[in-house]
Amino acid sequence: MERTDILHQPPAYSLRSVTRAFLGREGTAVRALDGVTFDSPAEAITCIVGPTGSGKSTVLRILSGLDRPDGGSASVAGKDPAAMTGRIGYLTQQHTLLPWMRVRQNVGLPLEIKHVPAGEAAAQVAAICAKLGLTGAEDLYPHELSGGMQQRAALGRLLASEARSWLMDEPFTALDERTRHQLQGLLIGLVRERRLSVLFVTHAIDEAVALADRIVVLSAGPGRVVGTVDIALPHPRNRLSPEYGQLMERIRTSIESVL
Amino acid sequence: MNGANGDSAGGSRPTAPWTDRLIGRVVLGSLLPLVVLSLWWLGIRSGTAVIPHFGEVLQVLLHPFETPADLYSRSLAFSLLMTLLRLAVGFGLAVATAVPLGLWAAKSRTVEHILYPMVQVSRPINPVVLLPIVTVFFGLSSVASIVAGPVEAWRWDVWDQVQIAMVFILWWGAFFPIFMSTVHGVRSVRTAYIESLRLLGASDRQMLTKVVLPHALPSIAHGMRLAMGVSWLVLIAAEIFPGTRSGIGYMLCTACKTSDYQYTFAAMIVIGITGLGIDVLFQRMERRAGHWQAAAR
Repeated sequence: MERTDILHQPPAYSLRSVTRAFLGREGTAVRALDGVTFDSPAEAITCIVGPTGSGKSTVLRILSGLDRPDGGSASVAGKDPAAMTGRIGYLTQQHTLLPWMRVRQNVGLPLEIKHVPAGEAAAQVAAICAKLGLTGAEDLYPHELSGGMQQRAALGRLLASEARSWLMDEPFTALDERTRHQLQGLLIGLVRERRLSVLFVTHAIDEAVALADRIVVLSAGPGRVVGTVDIALPHPRNRLSPEYGQLMERIRTSIESVL
Repeated sequence: MNGANGDSAGGSRPTAPWTDRLIGRVVLGSLLPLVVLSLWWLGIRSGTAVIPHFGEVLQVLLHPFETPADLYSRSLAFSLLMTLLRLAVGFGLAVATAVPLGLWAAKSRTVEHILYPMVQVSRPINPVVLLPIVTVFFGLSSVASIVAGPVEAWRWDVWDQVQIAMVFILWWGAFFPIFMSTVHGVRSVRTAYIESLRLLGASDRQMLTKVVLPHALPSIAHGMRLAMGVSWLVLIAAEIFPGTRSGIGYMLCTACKTSDYQYTFAAMIVIGITGLGIDVLFQRMERRAGHWQAAAR
């Protein structure tokens, strides 16, 4: 499928000259973001890549509404992120499953919070678990699952939330390569099927090229946008094709030029 | 998960030294009790009047509902029941106050600043030290006298045995460990969990029931176990102190004073075993509350 059409829709995520600084150890301000501006297409995957300390996670925290920019503006689907509670899915290595709840309860948590009747919620959870390959694991606790299954359950919770704006911070980094590729495929399928708008932070160039419709490259801290690359290759992408290799090289050069 | 399995598998492997196998552990574990029983037997042989025969003590233990002849006219079972009732009231009151106050203090800095200095000053005060003055202050008035009035209270036989003075020092002993562990448990909740729920649009109440309480529960349970250990010691000491007419501690003390050493020993054994049983119970509760913890870290 040709994705360029989608790139002309109004942006799902928009940052305009966003700056953000944190208090450093010696009491001095450490700038994390220095005037970051980019748009992220709706119903597509945008990957943010950049070296450690480029403020990638800060971008996601601001767009989730958990953090505010010092200057500039950020919006999700044209609205203030703080007004989007319950409509933004947020998945990081920390923001995952609650360890004292079974998979079933974790996946169904958004429904419980919205007071969806128990029977209806159970049916939805069962459908989501079946879809994500979690059938049979519903009654296990997170620590009883493999890393891949944990992330599947975390994706299940995002699906149950019915949020269509997903902010994902290196969700697959800790997984082995095979599992990572499986979950990348799963994510691409979900984005198309549910018309999700995903902003995906990763430091792995390969992962960005495999997933993204647009790649935003941030510089080393303080983060600035040093390049934007739109990718029109259809999914699933052949990792061995020459175009793929050229894109990898292009992104790598772009990152290394600003290190 | 793997660690726990690995350990238990290692213990039961046939190549393990005999001291690590079940039979070895039973043999080694029985050594000291056998020494104690031998000393008991030797004590009787040497004609010490204080130490009764094992069989006589066993007779008392086997007939817990029998009321001994004079002075203390309460059976072993009734005495233990009174003790447990006091424990339940005092400890229950401590839980019912310490957990909500702990949650509140963990949430609000103002409340914390009001409570903490008082808590830090009061915490090290041994509750037994307070007992004489508390007994003078409350006299023999019981929980029943609050409900029924001092004159009518004696009609409430059982509840009249739950003296306010004892409830107070039990509360004192149990409150601080539970309060401190509740504050600690709530404070250690990972912000990521809170943020996740906030992004899902959870209410304050849902935040409390879905994240804060479940996360703090292992810590609260640990505090409760510590508090129960303190409570048991304090209560037995309080029952030995003048100002009561029942309880297993009272039986112990009275039997000893009247040279009824069978009952003295029986009460000692009941106190030991009950204390052990309560601790095992709370240990299980603690493990249950934190079942997700060991592996999640």
